Amino acid sequence: MLAIQLEAEPFEPLQALAEWYQLLAAELGMLPAAESHFVGRVRPSGANDSPLTALELEHYPGMSEACIASLAAAAADRHGATAVLVRHRIGLVLPGDAIVLVAIGADRRGPAQRCCQELLEALKHDAPFWKREWHADGSSAWITGNTAL
Amino acid sequence: MAVSADPASQVQVRLFAGLREAMGWSEQLVELAPAAGRANPAGATPHQLWRQLGLQPAHPPAGVRVAINQQFASWDASLAAGDELAFLPPISGG
Repeated sequence: MLAIQLEAEPFEPLQALAEWYQLLAAELGMLPAAESHFVGRVRPSGANDSPLTALELEHYPGMSEACIASLAAAAADRHGATAVLVRHRIGLVLPGDAIVLVAIGADRRGPAQRCCQELLEALKHDAPFWKREWHADGSSAWITGNTAL
Repeated sequence: MAVSADPASQVQVRLFAGLREAMGWSEQLVELAPAAGRANPAGATPHQLWRQLGLQPAHPPAGVRVAINQQFASWDASLAAGDELAFLPPISGG
């Protein structure tokens, strides 16, 4: 069971999880025995350690949603996960705000944790999103790679 | 960039993020140039379009990827009229 959503406005991960639980309970009749969650937030400083005013997330409309769904389905299938939630910000995201929430439901902790990590890495490398750092002086720079694991 | 009146030989080309800003445009209809010895322009590749459009650097950087009709594709894939071709700078999601 996949739940994928791009967010143009700030979202609260705990609220998103609460909404997901309601969906899971309605669809599956009960919550999975094991869950793994990841929340990624904007750092206060950029690649060169200068303070950030915001991080801009650009995406490829249509393809990004399809990629997330495909990657999520493949990861869930590989690990036997029963439920996947992905909420991913687009647009301007402020320091401290959530960029991404990945949540996995499975029958055991191992598959849940492995699926969560694999899907997160897949999102970072194989879904068409691009980050641009905005600085206090009005300058900006596109990020051409991902942060260290 | 030349825009053909004949949609049968056009593809929609899209650029994103830093590549879009470096080139100063985000999308355009592009006429596929007939390849040598081939009357039908269909079959041109993303690599050929990169050169035809004068995208920089002249040889695509290793991190730049290609999507055709919103699916990752090879630089040597054959394009067909009506395709949407996107050049994707290095991805940094999640």
